[in-house]
Amino acid sequence: MRNAGLRFWSGLLIAVAMSGCSIQPLKSAEESALPSGINVPIEYYKLGNGLKVVLAQDASAPTVTVGVYYRIGMRIEPRDRTGFAHLFEHLMFQGSTNLGKMEFIRLVEGNGGVVNGSTRFDFTNYFEIVPAHTLETILWAEADRMKGLAITQDNLANQQGVVKNEVNDNVLNQPYGGFPWLSMPQLANENWYNAHNFYGDLAHIDAATLEDARAFFDTYYSPGNAVLVVAGDFDATQARAWIGKYFAVLPARAQAARPDISEPPQTAEKRKSYVDPLAPRPGLAVAWHVPGRGTPEHYAFGLLDEILLQGEDSALWQKLVQQRGYSSSVAGGINLLGNMFNYDGPMLWTLYLVHDPNVAPDSILADIDAEIARIQNAPPTQAELDRALTKIRAELYDLAGSSDHFGLVDLLAAFALFDDDPTRINRIESEFRAVKPGMISEVARAYLQRSQRSVLILEPGRTQGGSQP
Amino acid sequence: MRRLFALALTLLAFIAVAENRELPPAPGKPRDFALPAAETMTLANGVSLTFIDYGSVPLVTVLAVVRTGNIDEGESTWLADVAVEMLKEGTTTRPAGDIARAAAGMGGSLSVAAGAEQTSVGISVLSEHAAAAADLVADVLRNPRFPESELPRVLANFERNLSVARSEPDSVAGEALAKLVYGDHPFGRALPAAGQLGTYDIASVRGFYERNFGARRTHVYVAGRYDRATLETALRRAFGDWREGAPPTDLPPKASDVLQLRLIDRPGAPQSSLRIAVPVPDPASALYFPTTLTNSLLGGTFTSRITTNLREDKGYSYSPSSSISAHRGDALWIMNAEITGEHTAAALTEIFREIERLQREPPAAGELDAIKRYRAGLFVIRNSSPEGVLGQLAFMDLHGLPPEFLTRWVANMYAVTPQQVTDIAQRFILPAHMTIVIVGDLKTIADSVRALPQLREAQMP
Repeated sequence: MRNAGLRFWSGLLIAVAMSGCSIQPLKSAEESALPSGINVPIEYYKLGNGLKVVLAQDASAPTVTVGVYYRIGMRIEPRDRTGFAHLFEHLMFQGSTNLGKMEFIRLVEGNGGVVNGSTRFDFTNYFEIVPAHTLETILWAEADRMKGLAITQDNLANQQGVVKNEVNDNVLNQPYGGFPWLSMPQLANENWYNAHNFYGDLAHIDAATLEDARAFFDTYYSPGNAVLVVAGDFDATQARAWIGKYFAVLPARAQAARPDISEPPQTAEKRKSYVDPLAPRPGLAVAWHVPGRGTPEHYAFGLLDEILLQGEDSALWQKLVQQRGYSSSVAGGINLLGNMFNYDGPMLWTLYLVHDPNVAPDSILADIDAEIARIQNAPPTQAELDRALTKIRAELYDLAGSSDHFGLVDLLAAFALFDDDPTRINRIESEFRAVKPGMISEVARAYLQRSQRSVLILEPGRTQGGSQP
Repeated sequence: MRRLFALALTLLAFIAVAENRELPPAPGKPRDFALPAAETMTLANGVSLTFIDYGSVPLVTVLAVVRTGNIDEGESTWLADVAVEMLKEGTTTRPAGDIARAAAGMGGSLSVAAGAEQTSVGISVLSEHAAAAADLVADVLRNPRFPESELPRVLANFERNLSVARSEPDSVAGEALAKLVYGDHPFGRALPAAGQLGTYDIASVRGFYERNFGARRTHVYVAGRYDRATLETALRRAFGDWREGAPPTDLPPKASDVLQLRLIDRPGAPQSSLRIAVPVPDPASALYFPTTLTNSLLGGTFTSRITTNLREDKGYSYSPSSSISAHRGDALWIMNAEITGEHTAAALTEIFREIERLQREPPAAGELDAIKRYRAGLFVIRNSSPEGVLGQLAFMDLHGLPPEFLTRWVANMYAVTPQQVTDIAQRFILPAHMTIVIVGDLKTIADSVRALPQLREAQMP
């Protein structure tokens, strides 16, 4: 079942995962005699115009991955232009200083690479996975569109049509469309920046103008508001020279003031029911606000997430799926559009499932409460903690060893963009290991109260038993 | 008229860009790429083992692929899925919870999936747990307990998933397409009928397992970094004395090659879900390489003709794309597009126009060369990961392809000529042989679709 609406790609056909088998992404291992922890070789510096640069070499395959992340996401967009950050992501493929429409993509595909972009809460990214020998070409092309766009009214209109189709594909013509990744932030958050429709009102998408695009580019798409990450098989001296040649020449531009995106503390439970006219079964989602990113409490909450919700061994999976049989799965986590590191602002921990109409949401909530109460009342068992740390370690090795380098580029970009320190990637495991079991209980008590939760109830609008199309 | 105007504007913009144009720096010299070595052996009972030693970090995947799936379920649609899901409900020595905790304790999670012809049980773990992972996979495959107490819950999950599938335009279109293309073959039954899942009991689940699981159908792939001697010993011990069981089922489907059109009403839908299928040469055919390149050029890449036309020129659709969907002894070219309702007939016209253009004139060498470089690049990306190589090998084993399929892949692809691509379009991508399904708001789209000249002779099953 595909009820997780996490897709927010611009839809360029990425075709890396072509294996015919449904095996999970690879997990990895540590050398038995070595101290635990990944050790990604990282070179980090800034150009005069403020562009951050991260280089991470790994010559295990003759490919290289380039990511350009701009520090502008779905939260911060003009109030009468919801969905603009995402629409603009599409416009970045419509032509730049020296490349006409489609030429960027032809340059990448015609050289044997894949390209895509995506819009998230606090960044918009553009990335290419290409044969190693084409690195200079790709750096030139990314610099070309950082230098300036060349978008016509016609191209804007074309992409307005494409984006409206994307919203229909993913939300409006789908049962459970936007549940809960799009709908929950609108319930749980108070600050408009965190609580508006991120995909955008179709009327707002229609209203966008070339002037809007120019202003958005000038405000947010400056070198000083971005990071360039290169990971894979390349010569560092040569890469630095190319980056200097193509990116360092771009002029510095003023940085935009950042609005206040903070959330007030939540003191009373919020509940909302809505009818999904296309859905045949009820859905339930619950969310809580998580501790500030990068704090010790945040790492403790990450362990709490592993223990309660991640994997089939987790407490909530065992209770809700295996024992109660409410659903075939319970999904969720910190940041439904990414992970616990690649955002910068208030964030939710969300869990959700689709269940049968003979089960009342409150009985599911009671089971969730009981599992949370167990951790609130006593620290997790050593076995639970060990499994959580093992899962995290495997994920990190997977990230560091994956040949497409995409997860690696993503984390390096987030730590550079939001923390000015990509080497944090090498300290993630020790941060988790520093968490004392008692702190996990404390965090559960401090952040997972019933008064702090938001409950979203999706009521099926499609009649049951409709087995014919 | 409007379209002409739009085209002119696009052209102007292009010229404006091109005038002072700085050209991209040319790529350097391609680096050598060596395919990871794979070694295969067969145990006395018929289990095949393949070892792929590859990867930059110490991790390992153990994946058992069994040649069974929906092909073996006859009219009992999804019985394979139910039986395979029940494998996770415990072995004779491990309850379900123990399986999940054991997997997590190795840094992985057990993945179990039934497919049309291949069913997989696999896990990726920290290398130090390679032998334990092999034991777990073998235990789940060989010693299922099939607890009757858990079946109602598992069936309720499938019932819920079925209900959701019937509300999704993609699943509804896919079910109709499968039925029209494959008829009474098991591949023609994508979704169970109402009430059908409730007729499965623990005896039918166990019966499916007993008939279809065994050594002769099983191939265990290992990829990553691991201690070879220890893991091989563990695998031989875990699988070496499994019963032989039946050989794989030989039941290739016969795909329809008559023009059929099925319109399914989704009242008020803002989009039409279009699916087109037509038989093409399968992976074992000498024509497979030119066929896949034809697909890449027509609709298989972002820069392909149909995708560019429908998305970047017209804005009718977000991600229109085509692909080759293969079974053993059978392959289809499949076109998918979710189209703004009012442009349904216009989008179909454009798709036919692109097909007819390719049939009329071979692509320019430059256009085809770019597609070849794209495919060659993807080949390197895909085969640079242990799981990618493993997936390719499982594909080759299903279709009975020799090692040269992989080792000569790039050379074979570069050898395809523009004329061969047009030949494939002329011989196979034939509107007269197509099955077409559209799920959408029929009161607004049906008349214009039926009036298309290419569909005038269509059967309307």
